[in-house]
Amino acid sequence: MSFAERMLKIDRRIIFVVIGLCTLLPLLYPVGLPIKISQEVRGVYDHIESLPERSVLLLSLDFDPASKPELYPQAVAILRHAFKKNLRVVAMTLWVSGTGMADELLTKVANESGKQRGTDYVFLGWSPGGTAVIINLGQDLYNAFPSDYGGKPTKGQPVLDGVNSLKDVTYAISLGAGNPGVEAWYVFGKDKYKFELGGGCTGVMAPGLYPLLRSGQINGLIGGLRGAAEYESLIGEKGRAVAGMDAQSATHVAIIVLVALCNVFYFTLRRQARQQGAQS
Amino acid sequence: MDATIIGAWVATGLTLFIFSFLYKDNPLFKLAENLYVGVSVGYTIVKTYDTVILHLIWKPIVENQEWTLLIPVAIGLLMLTRYVPKAAWLSRYAFAFIVGVGAGLAIPRTMSSFILKQIEDTIRPLLALTPGDGVAFSWNLMNPASSVNAIIVLIGVSSVLFYFFFSVEHRGPGKTVARTGVLFLMIAFGAAFGYTVMARMSLLIGRLTDLIEYSDPSYGRPTFWLVLVTIGTLIALSVRSRSEPPDSQ
Repeated sequence: MSFAERMLKIDRRIIFVVIGLCTLLPLLYPVGLPIKISQEVRGVYDHIESLPERSVLLLSLDFDPASKPELYPQAVAILRHAFKKNLRVVAMTLWVSGTGMADELLTKVANESGKQRGTDYVFLGWSPGGTAVIINLGQDLYNAFPSDYGGKPTKGQPVLDGVNSLKDVTYAISLGAGNPGVEAWYVFGKDKYKFELGGGCTGVMAPGLYPLLRSGQINGLIGGLRGAAEYESLIGEKGRAVAGMDAQSATHVAIIVLVALCNVFYFTLRRQARQQGAQS
Repeated sequence: MDATIIGAWVATGLTLFIFSFLYKDNPLFKLAENLYVGVSVGYTIVKTYDTVILHLIWKPIVENQEWTLLIPVAIGLLMLTRYVPKAAWLSRYAFAFIVGVGAGLAIPRTMSSFILKQIEDTIRPLLALTPGDGVAFSWNLMNPASSVNAIIVLIGVSSVLFYFFFSVEHRGPGKTVARTGVLFLMIAFGAAFGYTVMARMSLLIGRLTDLIEYSDPSYGRPTFWLVLVTIGTLIALSVRSRSEPPDSQ
């Protein structure tokens, strides 16, 4: 068996170990590779930066713990930015399995920033219906969510002063891990009720959302852990996403090298087979 | 014991049990997999019961006398008639209502958002009229709205659509156009796969970050102890499977 053949039949667990080490070592010994800010992430940041104090930011946390490594850092960075800008944050989720995590996340960041529930922020929780909830919110917020996650009536909460429907929202961001997510918020929300919309998503979903970005249907897009790291850099509060970027770069280099090597071994074997065929 | 510490031990254990599948399928992985499915389904059922049945149906009807809610409740209950063969036909009314409302809401909005808006974006003017400069052609590849990108999008959309046009044999100039379409498709698949790899690595980074955090003495070093338990169990299982005769496996 030639070297190329042996390499192509290598135990896959060796590759797992290589990838594991390429991820683990940069996490233990970070080098701090530079992070370049993309236009799509800057779109969300610049828009929040341009909002006047006490504007209403609707943050829909449309993900569950399965997407936590990518979307949780995005949510933390956006919330820190919003609270720093003294915006009113109205948070909700369209994913029932993400309600507990969303409440814990919002409470944690709000406490860090010294914000009051009901005055500076509210968590509406989850309501059944998926996209129908967005339509319902566009007609009457208090009908869609008569009470918040803690069971307190939404009507009369200072954070919702002057907010009756999606038309009164200054900026909405959906951090989506699937459907319903960013696309649903555009189709049933922005397209109908005309508010500005930004998006955040997992890396898998990002290529599918770029057409919405180019056409101006969303004004910014935070894609995966990389997008979260860019946002953390923009607000100057480096967290878990920035810490993971060295590991991300190292694993990408490892995968590129593995793909290149596999191709070299594959073409070597093919050439050997052709030469043997010509000789016989 | 603090709930955070218990959570750290559970999260670390389940993460390591799931990762043990990378070595080979084993009972620890099965335990974690079944727990994940069971807990997520249980959580969803409890949250749905609390939100829908208690807060959106029971309390408004009993406490606020909102009797109109009985109409959607009745339509919803018709769905359950599928479990009674003789009355199963009644569920068709509920499905008809849902399909009708769903299609009515979704079709116009989807047409507007994904077809009309995207066509509008595809057929952008190739030359831009800028005040002072007159007609201009921008070559900036990094700007999504530049003229050169408008041409690339136009060529890409037309050639990919032609590739999926099977009524004409792809020969001569048609073959060149179809090949161009394939090239655009390959680039799109490559970009999607690249992002998928990035996403999967991000998930791994997330779990390893937690494992590093939970190796701290303040949690009782669950990562250290549970790595030992997982490796020990895998070795024991491996030894046991080797000592058993092949027929009994």
